[in-house]
Amino acid sequence: MISLYLARRTWAHRLPAWLKLGVLAGLSLVVTPLDSLPAMAALVAGALALYAALGREALRQMVLLRAMAPLLALLFAFHWWSGDPRLGLVAVLRLAGMILIANAVTMTTRMDEMMEVVEPLLRPLALIGVSPRAVALAVAMMIRFVPLLFALWEALNESWRARCGRRGGWRLLAPFCIQTLRLSNHVAEALSARGGVSRASRR
Amino acid sequence: MPTTPDDRRILLDNVTLERGGREVLSALSLALGEARVGLIGDNGSGKSSLARLFNGLLLPDSGRVRVHGLDTAADTAALPRRVGFIFQNPDHQIIFPTVIEEIAFSLEQTGLPRRAAAAEARSALARHGRAHWADRAVHTLSEGEKQFLCIIAVLVMEPTLLVLDEPFSSLDLPTRLRLERLIDTLPQQVVLIAHELDAFAGYDRVIWLDRGRVAMDGAPGPVVEAYRQRALERLARPAEPGT
Repeated sequence: MISLYLARRTWAHRLPAWLKLGVLAGLSLVVTPLDSLPAMAALVAGALALYAALGREALRQMVLLRAMAPLLALLFAFHWWSGDPRLGLVAVLRLAGMILIANAVTMTTRMDEMMEVVEPLLRPLALIGVSPRAVALAVAMMIRFVPLLFALWEALNESWRARCGRRGGWRLLAPFCIQTLRLSNHVAEALSARGGVSRASRR
Repeated sequence: MPTTPDDRRILLDNVTLERGGREVLSALSLALGEARVGLIGDNGSGKSSLARLFNGLLLPDSGRVRVHGLDTAADTAALPRRVGFIFQNPDHQIIFPTVIEEIAFSLEQTGLPRRAAAAEARSALARHGRAHWADRAVHTLSEGEKQFLCIIAVLVMEPTLLVLDEPFSSLDLPTRLRLERLIDTLPQQVVLIAHELDAFAGYDRVIWLDRGRVAMDGAPGPVVEAYRQRALERLARPAEPGT
């Protein structure tokens, strides 16, 4: 199953969250202005090496890139059309490399550790009435529900195939949205049963 | 029962509840003080709505609901700690990616600071013999394990009432029996909604709801038997709607 968190603990799980997030932020600052093809190729190679070092389960998570493929293709096509396919390749490699590395951080960092680092940075939001705790909760819930939404899509696809004999594809989009809304309704109910979000911010 | 003080009872006074323009509960008055109460009835009979009145997820359109000394309309902040609620589908209830976070969240809801909550969550897992679950991703748990996690996460808030809305529906028999045994040992008052009618054998009281009214109320044996008989009678008359 696709998930945003690696169930089996790896060496990267043991690194402190601030270090991983710091390296990620630093790396993206360094990489953004660069447009050398070898440097970007090295970035992607480094990302691949990182996944290999994290093990088989992590490598399987690289299907994430397949979901990103249309976007990457579009990005490349745009650069080609504007007359610079080399720059397109650089942009695609940079984006793919950074997505992979960012995903590696998400896969190996528990949500509460991540939020401990991010929450102080979100604190200014409280000035405009946004609770940092609510933001943290929203992010945690996203990580939690991604595998569930994938499973939901698969279940819809299965029932489609059981009756039609082929994949549902885009036709599942409408029922998927409806099911997702139903799911969010249930989850909201369960969350209020445990005191809701506002209560937690009052500490 | 008269010996149970009101701060350990669920009291419904002439409660009417509408949902989507339809009356789902009609002028219902109940006093539930027994340690183990079962709710049975057909789908759409109002069981889940009734259970949601107990923790204030639904508020009555008329009448009053008092649960263990709290008015569900007025004491909304105190209610979630007093009433633990277990939903049918654990995937709807679990909001965090790992086991430890899910339990710590409950503890933070009671006002515990983050680190203390994480430490207490670990010892709660250990008390239930599941210390090794702490860092597991919840999507790797089985259905029964998820339901068990939901219960641990609710129990750490130390509620005095536990309401379970069809908790067995996706469990296999061994898992269900284990969960029933866990529920048996709890000191809390328990209200259980289930279609597994044999689950109520040791219960003090079972209420059969039918179209928003109490069809029968009493010891589990006769109530469950009457409900079963009615279902069989209906089977013999297939033209009747509602089956």
